[in-house]
This record gives sequence, structure tokens and C-alpha cells, in this order.
Amino acid sequence: MLLKRFNRIQRLFHLFLIITFLIQAGTGFGRLFITTDFGRSLTSIFGGYETAIVVHFWVGILMMAGFTVHTIYLVTRINRRDLVNSILGPDSLVLGPQDAQHLFQRILWTMGFGSSPQLDRWAYWEKFDYWSVFWGLPLLAVTGIMLKFPLLTTLFLPGWALNISGLLHRAEAILAASYIFIVHFFIGHLRPASFPMNEAMFSGNVPLEEAVKEKPAWVERLRQEGRLLELMKVRPPALWYRVLYFVFGYTALGFGIYILINGIVYGRYIQLH
Amino acid sequence: MKEAVTRVRLVYIGGAVGLLIGLAVILTVPVRLARGQEEVTSKIYRYRERVATGYYEGYEVSPRRARAILETPGIKRGLFPYGSSSAMVRIRARLPDSHKGLKFYYRNTCIECHPEQARNIHSVRAGITCRQCHGPEPIPAINHYYSAMNTIRRHSYVCAKCHEGATAAFASFYVHEPPAASLETRESFPALFYTYWGMLLLLVGTLAFFIPHSVMVGLRELSEHLSFSVPHTLMVGLRDVFKKLVFFMSHSFLAGFRKFSQKLSFFKPQNFLAGYRKLFKKKEAFKNETDNAP
Ligand code: HEC
Ligand code: HEC
Ligand code: HEC
Repeated sequence: MLLKRFNRIQRLFHLFLIITFLIQAGTGFGRLFITTDFGRSLTSIFGGYETAIVVHFWVGILMMAGFTVHTIYLVTRINRRDLVNSILGPDSLVLGPQDAQHLFQRILWTMGFGSSPQLDRWAYWEKFDYWSVFWGLPLLAVTGIMLKFPLLTTLFLPGWALNISGLLHRAEAILAASYIFIVHFFIGHLRPASFPMNEAMFSGNVPLEEAVKEKPAWVERLRQEGRLLELMKVRPPALWYRVLYFVFGYTALGFGIYILINGIVYGRYIQLH
Repeated sequence: MKEAVTRVRLVYIGGAVGLLIGLAVILTVPVRLARGQEEVTSKIYRYRERVATGYYEGYEVSPRRARAILETPGIKRGLFPYGSSSAMVRIRARLPDSHKGLKFYYRNTCIECHPEQARNIHSVRAGITCRQCHGPEPIPAINHYYSAMNTIRRHSYVCAKCHEGATAAFASFYVHEPPAASLETRESFPALFYTYWGMLLLLVGTLAFFIPHSVMVGLRELSEHLSFSVPHTLMVGLRDVFKKLVFFMSHSFLAGFRKFSQKLSFFKPQNFLAGYRKLFKKKEAFKNETDNAP
């Protein structure tokens, strides 16, 4: 019994983000740690110190293009006939007051008070995951372009703006990577309810009982709207596809954790302030 | 239906035309050059032929107003605090040879005496030596009038060797970036200091919320998987501990915040005003000094 959760385009966007993000993390942190063995081995995957920045730049451009396409996609999802409901309704990712309430309720639930909140389609942590890309990526894009074209930048800004943008770029990258490699991986793969892997983002489906348990309001709403049966008309993923995405997912996880642990271990040897 | 489609098309075409007009309007706005690009004329004419970089005729380009590093009041280096004017002399900031008379100078490498300065991107990552920027012996002080590092000509004499087309604003980049976290940087380069602490706060805040959140959710789900139930007395005890913890944490947070706000003199307007007045007086004094110079 499976329930459809993500369509093909959405999964493609997510896959695109995984691959580009990991490449950016590998090239960027490789260069940051270039004075250590870790940084040298990491950049050697991407062709060394000098090539890594070229890869970093072009993949960054690709990411911005993907981001633009995604934003356009997002705008086309808005239903103009039913504007308020499609922006603030339960199918939307926009944060609302009920998310604060769910957060509070869920924290109390973890400590044994009350029951888990009646989550609808998107839980508050999923919404946070989603929107954090929206301020992280533009910040990294703008500061990255400033650093890539320092002469152009200093036509408009004084030179010390480059010091600031370098710091911002580094700090935001560390923030994004540590959030993804610690929190997002834990929620996606490692917490008991979704261990060994939350397959929704790769196969597009969630098992019905999992949805009932974690997102009861969503399933209930689908039933009332009469869309439940329609969304349950999905085939389980083929075996080869499952094997593929398990291998891919765990490779990505391993790569992230490799960067995380080595980053912490070698952090003292960057030799910059 | 058809009508709706044409209406949608009309909206899209209207949007596109509006966008184009907006772009055109933006393009007509003249590029405002950074303040670092402003042209200043020097009063001193007699050294012109020796000083001129050759790139400019009757003037030089100086980024001095765009400097983010403020003058530190009451500079202290080493054991003794200097007044601002004697510090200029004592710390060799204007000498033609900044190492004149220093013992053991020729037996040491630059990094042994200036370890802090070695921690910059050019040296660490690109492997550029100190002399590629600071030049051969004698190494002049940064502010010495004829120094290639003088902000008047740094862009063309130093940076442009490698960064083709370097401008004065580009050269006001801080090659030896001060350690962003330190309190000294708050005085000397506040923008860097506040950016650093702002980002750190964001990082620590995000992780300090989400890591315990994940761990708690994980534990709770684990307990459901193992299907063990918590005895009532334990539950009550835990609740007590939790209440105490919340009280203790909020109390110490408030106390810490109060201490921090006391430390930041910025929060006290009277201190801020006094500091500003002091700085203003210093600037006046400095101006008088330079105006009276021969
Ligand atoms: C024996 C130790 C020693 C060695 C070796 C040394 N310096 Fe210095 N340097 C000093 C001292 C002391 C000062 C003055 C410190 C001050 O003004 O704070 C100074 C000042 C300077 C200044 C001027 C600072 C200013 O405020 O304008 C520069 C530039 C400089 N050194 C660069 C170098 C370079 C490049 C090398 C290597 C070729 C080098 N130094 C090697 C001790 C040393
Ligand atoms: C990319 C060119 C470049 C390189 C390489 C470089 N410097 Fe500098 N140095 C500068 C500039 C520019 C300044 C002026 C202060 C500033 O803007 O950071 C400076 C200032 C200094 C000062 C004055 C104190 C200060 O921090 O402002 C010292 C001392 C110094 N450099 C030492 C060194 C030593 C030692 C090395 C080698 C490890 C080195 N520099 C490498 C460009 C360079
Ligand atoms: C000897 C050659 C050389 C000189 C002289 C030099 N640079 Fe550089 N600079 C480099 C190299 C090489 C890099 C690239 C470092 C890297 O990517 O690891 C660089 C990088 C930079 C960057 C960073 C751009 C980015 O993408 O992050 C800035 C800003 C910069 N230099 C400013 C200056 C300034 C200001 C001066 C003059 C005081 C100067 N440089 C003098 C060689 C030089």
C-alpha cells in the first residue's frame, strides 16, 4: 500500500540539488582545507586545486540556473483561481502559525507529554529544510560571483567588501553543509521511523501506514477530498531502481559524513584566521 | 475557455514587456563608482616626477576614505602604550626601512617575526612569498611616502603585477585580514567582526536547536520501536528535572545576556557619544598636524 508523495519533476530537482551540492562541498571544502592532506585528497578527485575552482564556478552557475528554473516552477504551481488557499493552504510549503504550534506540540511529545501533532502534508522541519535553500543559495551565489570577479566588484564597492563576502561565503557554506550532513541526514535516513532510508524522494511514494502515523491530517484530508484512492494507484519501484537509489543515497551520505568528520578534525590546520 | 487562454497570454506578454522596460530603466542608471575611486589631488608638487606612477597625470587615486580599518585610539603595541603621534614614529609606520637597526633581522625569516601576517590567503593557498608583494630590501613601512605599498600607488605597483587592471578600490582589500573573532577587530574592522559573530550566532543557533530536536525525536521513536513504557514515577521525576532545567537555563541565559550587554559599550549611548567626540578631536589634531607639515 503506497501513497504518492512526489512527482517526477520534484524528485529530479532534489536529485539535481544532491549532486550539485555535493560537488560544491567537495570542491569548496577541498580548497578551504588545501593545506591539509584531507583537502589535497578531496581536491584531487576534482583535478587539483586549480581545476577545482573551475568546477566550483561552473557547477555554481548550474545551481543558480536550477534555482531559477525551480522558482519558475514554484510560481507556476500557484493556482490563480484559488490564490489564498494555494499559498497558505495545507498543500503549500509556506510557514504558518500552525507550524509553531506543531513544533511546540512535537517537542512536548518527544518528552512524553501529549500526542504527536496532527501533521498535514508538510511538517515544519520539512518546510525549514526547503526554505533554508532559498536564502542560502542566493547568498552563496552573490558572494561567490563577487569573489570570482573581484575587479568588477570593486568598481562598485570598496575592496574590503571582498573580505566580507569571503567570510560570508565560507560561513554560509559551513552552515549549509553542517545542517545537511547532520540534521537533514538524520531526519532523512537515520532516525528510527525512517531507517534505513526515507525512500519518498527517490521512489516518489511513501508506505501508507507510515503516512497515517506521521501525517494523519494529510491522509484524512485526502480521504475527505476523495483523492486518496487516486493517489494510491502507484506501482512499487522496480528492484534495480531500489538498489540503485540505495547505493546512491548511501554514497552521498558517506561522502557527506567524510567531509563532516574530516572538516572537524582538520579544522585547526587551515592556517587562516 | 479560449477567452481565458488569450487573457493569460495577455498577462504574460504584459509582464514580459514590463520586465523589459524595467531592465532598460535600470540600465540607464549611471554606474556609481565606489568611494575608493574618487580622485584626490595632492598639495605637494615638488616630488611629483619622482612619485607619479606614470598612469595618472595631474592627480593620484587614493582610496583613503573607503578604508574600513579605523584608527585605534591609544594604540598599544608590546609593553608600552603609545599616544597616536608617537606611535606613528615608534612603530616604524613611516620609515623607509622598517627594519632599520633591528637585531638579528638577517638571521630570521619573515614568518618567524610576523607569524600573524603569514595567515593570509595569498601566502597560505597561492604560495606567494612575502617579497613578491613587499619587495626587496629595504622593506619600507606601509605608510612611508615612497613605499610601493602606500595606498596612493599600491594598486599599480603591487597588486597589478598579478591582478591585471587592479584599481585603487581593489587594492583596499585587506590582504592580512585580522582575526575576525577577536575583540581588537571590533575596533579596527567592525564590519568583519559583526559579520563573523552574526554568522556564528546563526550557525550555533540553528544547530543548537535542530540537533537536540533530532536527538529527542530519535529517542522517542526508538522507545516506540522498542515498545517499552515509562513507569509513572520516573515520568514525574523527569518532569521535575525538566522544569528545573528550563528554569536554570533561562536564568543563566538572561544573566549572560546582561553581562554581554554590559561588555558591549555600544549599547550605552553616552559611551558611544564620548568615543565619537574623542575620535573627532583626534582627527582634528591629525589634520592640523598634516596641514602644518612642511
Ligand atoms: C627580526 C624580526 C623580523 C624579521 C625577520 C622581519 N621583520 Fe618585519 N618587522 C619587524 C618589526 C619589529 C617591525 C616593526 C613592528 C611594528 O611596527 O609593529 C617590522 C615591520 C615590518 C613592516 C612594516 C609594518 C608597518 O606597520 O608598516 C613590514 C611591511 C614588514 N616588517 C615586513 C617584513 C617582511 C616582508 C619580512 C621578511 C623579508 C620581515 N618583515 C622580516 C621584525 C621583523
Ligand atoms: C598579496 C600581497 C602581500 C603578501 C603576499 C604579503 N603581504 Fe604583507 N602586506 C600587504 C599589504 C597590502 C599590506 C598593507 C596592510 C593591509 O592592507 O593588509 C601589508 C602589510 C604588512 C605588514 C604591516 C602590518 C599589517 O598587518 O598591516 C606586515 C608586518 C606584513 N605585511 C608582513 C608580511 C609578511 C611577513 C608576509 C609573508 C608571510 C607578507 N606580508 C605577505 C601585502 C602583502
Ligand atoms: C604575486 C602575485 C600576486 C600579487 C602581487 C597579488 N596577488 Fe592577489 N592573488 C594572487 C593569486 C595567485 C590569487 C588566487 C589565490 C587562490 O585562489 O588561492 C589571488 C587572490 C586574490 C584575491 C581573492 C580573489 C578570490 O577569488 O577570492 C584578492 C581579493 C586579491 N588577490 C587581492 C590582491 C591585492 C589587493 C593585492 C595587492 C596588495 C594582490 N592581490 C596582490 C596573486 C597575487
